[in-house]
Amino acid sequence: MAASISGYTFSSVCYHSANSNSDHEGFLLGEVRQEETLSISDSHIGSSEFLNVIEVHNHEPCAQLFSFYDYAGNVNEENLNRILKDRRKNVIGWYRFRRNTQQQMSFREQVIHKQLTHILGIPDLVFLLFSFISTANSSTHALEYVLFRPNRKYNQRISLSIPNLGNTSQQEYKVSSVPNTSKNYASVIKEHGTEFFDKDGVMKDIRAIFQVYSALQERVQAVCCEVDQSERVREKIQEEVNKLKEEIALRKRNSAEEERRLQEAAAVTLPDNPALPDSSHSSLTRVVLSGPSVEPSLERPVNSSSPPIYSTTLPPDSPSAILLPRPQAVGSPGHPSPSLGLGNGDGSSSDSLNRQATGQEDQEDEDDDDEDSSEYENLVSEQLQPPSLTETVTLGRPATLWPDGDAHSPPGS
Amino acid sequence: MNSLSPEVALSRISSELRPLLCSVVRNGRVGLDSSSCLRITDLKSGCTSLMPGPCCDRFKLHIPYAGEILKWDIIFNAKDPELPPDFIFGEDADFLPEPSELPHLVSWDAGKPECLLQLVKELLQQYHQYQCQRLRDSSRLLFEYDSLLEDPNYGRSMEIYAGRKNSWTGEFSARFLLKLPVDFSNIPIYLLKDTAVDPGEDVALLSVSFEDAEATQVFPKLYLSPSIEHALGGSSALHIPAFPSGGCLIDYVPQVCQLLTNKVQYVIQGYHKRREYIAAFLSHFGMGVVEYDAVGFTKLTLLLMWKDFCFLVHVDLPLYFPRDQPTLTFQSIYHFTSSGQLYSQVQKSYPYSPRWDGNEMAKRAKDYFKSFIPQFQEGAFANGKL
Repeated sequence: MAASISGYTFSSVCYHSANSNSDHEGFLLGEVRQEETLSISDSHIGSSEFLNVIEVHNHEPCAQLFSFYDYAGNVNEENLNRILKDRRKNVIGWYRFRRNTQQQMSFREQVIHKQLTHILGIPDLVFLLFSFISTANSSTHALEYVLFRPNRKYNQRISLSIPNLGNTSQQEYKVSSVPNTSKNYASVIKEHGTEFFDKDGVMKDIRAIFQVYSALQERVQAVCCEVDQSERVREKIQEEVNKLKEEIALRKRNSAEEERRLQEAAAVTLPDNPALPDSSHSSLTRVVLSGPSVEPSLERPVNSSSPPIYSTTLPPDSPSAILLPRPQAVGSPGHPSPSLGLGNGDGSSSDSLNRQATGQEDQEDEDDDDEDSSEYENLVSEQLQPPSLTETVTLGRPATLWPDGDAHSPPGS
Repeated sequence: MNSLSPEVALSRISSELRPLLCSVVRNGRVGLDSSSCLRITDLKSGCTSLMPGPCCDRFKLHIPYAGEILKWDIIFNAKDPELPPDFIFGEDADFLPEPSELPHLVSWDAGKPECLLQLVKELLQQYHQYQCQRLRDSSRLLFEYDSLLEDPNYGRSMEIYAGRKNSWTGEFSARFLLKLPVDFSNIPIYLLKDTAVDPGEDVALLSVSFEDAEATQVFPKLYLSPSIEHALGGSSALHIPAFPSGGCLIDYVPQVCQLLTNKVQYVIQGYHKRREYIAAFLSHFGMGVVEYDAVGFTKLTLLLMWKDFCFLVHVDLPLYFPRDQPTLTFQSIYHFTSSGQLYSQVQKSYPYSPRWDGNEMAKRAKDYFKSFIPQFQEGAFANGKL
């Protein structure tokens, strides 16, 4: 059991006591509450302890001795009620102050205590004893106080704690849980309370803040949705952009092919595969062209419309997959940029272009891949040719006259 | 704090409370052991230090009880002197008397000076009851108590102190203080000397201490008023028997009582016997008596003549006469010893019987004188100088 008394109540009791020229007594008002402490430790799963805490809120001093009892120590209930009035239910104990005596309950105090316990109906009525000791020359006075639980057989003394009375260098200022029972305070709060509290007793500021918080939350949610949508739009647009870029590249390849065909047609035709240079050009060009357009760092790999340069430009079943495109083929002098048309000669290039132009997303990718792969085959075959084509052109060897000047391998298809 | 003399205590106490304290301090005798007064110590005040003195209103009262000293705090209020006091019963925290059985508390009248003393006596009675209750912890001692209680001789004047049980060993001790119903009134006054020292009642108290609940260690002690002790021949003359192991108080106490009574009777009888003896000698020797102790009848001096030989006979009667034989001292009036004293001879053994009465003793003494004197005369002439 623990007990606490607020500082102002304690000082008030001491004031009344010290100013009396004889013994002094009165009643303690307050409440008893039970605290449950649940402690968990390694040794046992959990244990709950119940602690009765007595809180003294106020006191009711008696004006004189023997005011509610007679010489024999019989308590007079009428006088008791007259002293306590309507605060009788708040009584948790009584106190006595006597100078220069032992810290022990006296004969009459014990008799009275038993009767008060019975009359007030409080089984654990407490008794606070103040004793005041002075030295002979009145230089030092000591006020001692002990809180008794006389109705118990053992542990009769309880320690009384006064919040904020102690060694403040090691403790912070504590706010005690003793409620303010002042009537004036209650009336002022009631009068002005509506400015701060709403009908439920909650502070208005709290509600306002909560509303702000809710609004913010809604906004955030909305913004999240917007962000989500805009992100999706952006994705779409990005895909479109990629597709368009591919289309552009394809068209460029085709046009480059066309030009090359025209050039070949104008120039001496060779017995070798005529389609090869076209295809090689186109595929090479396309490969090269598609290189810069593909920036893997900027695109999300999930929606990347154009695959990374090297990994998918060559078909997996191509025997010579480790072929590097030669940038020279793009900007090789004298050679117009090849068309984006396919080197198969089956006229499917226009189809692919058409398909690219319609803007189908994934399917186009796949189709592109397919056509790319077919073109890659050509590229592979073309790239196996010796690289000194340009030189041969300038040298005028008709047998190896490739406008690209790239190494061409015989077509594997 | 040392106990205060009554005057000092009275001077420091608040003036309204002085009469109450006066009766306690001057006349206060409570309990069996009324030889020691109630003492006052630790006189303090319940007023503020600004109050001018004397304003003491609370003190400690030392009360002898059953061989112990009880220290009770008595708390008044100088500001309200008409109110009854409060008490703190020292270490006896369990002692809680019933207020309704304290008539001087219920109808406290501060105007009556002896009110406090009477209240203290009533409290002491309650305390006695409380101690007797504590005896219930030991069936053996309770039996002792109950058996004594039944005997009207002892039951009414008994103080019991049941000692604190030793919680470690479970030991229990008790002390019985009994007033022995021995009549000292017939002791000759002359024996009760120095009455100024002990102006109180003559009393014999028997204290029996039980050091354990099973009564295996029992220590009896007899306390007598100083004058009685002197009258009976001093502390060395009185030995009480040891407490018999396995015995009980109801047998032992009457035994001691009887012993004491016998002694007293003896002393009284001795006195009367001596008186008778002296009277007989006076009648037999008539003019031959020089002087005798007329108060205690312990001495007698005769001047006798035999064949023109005069001699003195000093008779010394002992305390336990007639059990003990009187001492006869023959003294020559003519002869001196070398040291300048009269020649004398002491005779302690001569025909004597305690069963003789005074007359018989006188007659036999006369016969003895006649037979002894020639011998003495020769001796005196031979050894003494004229």
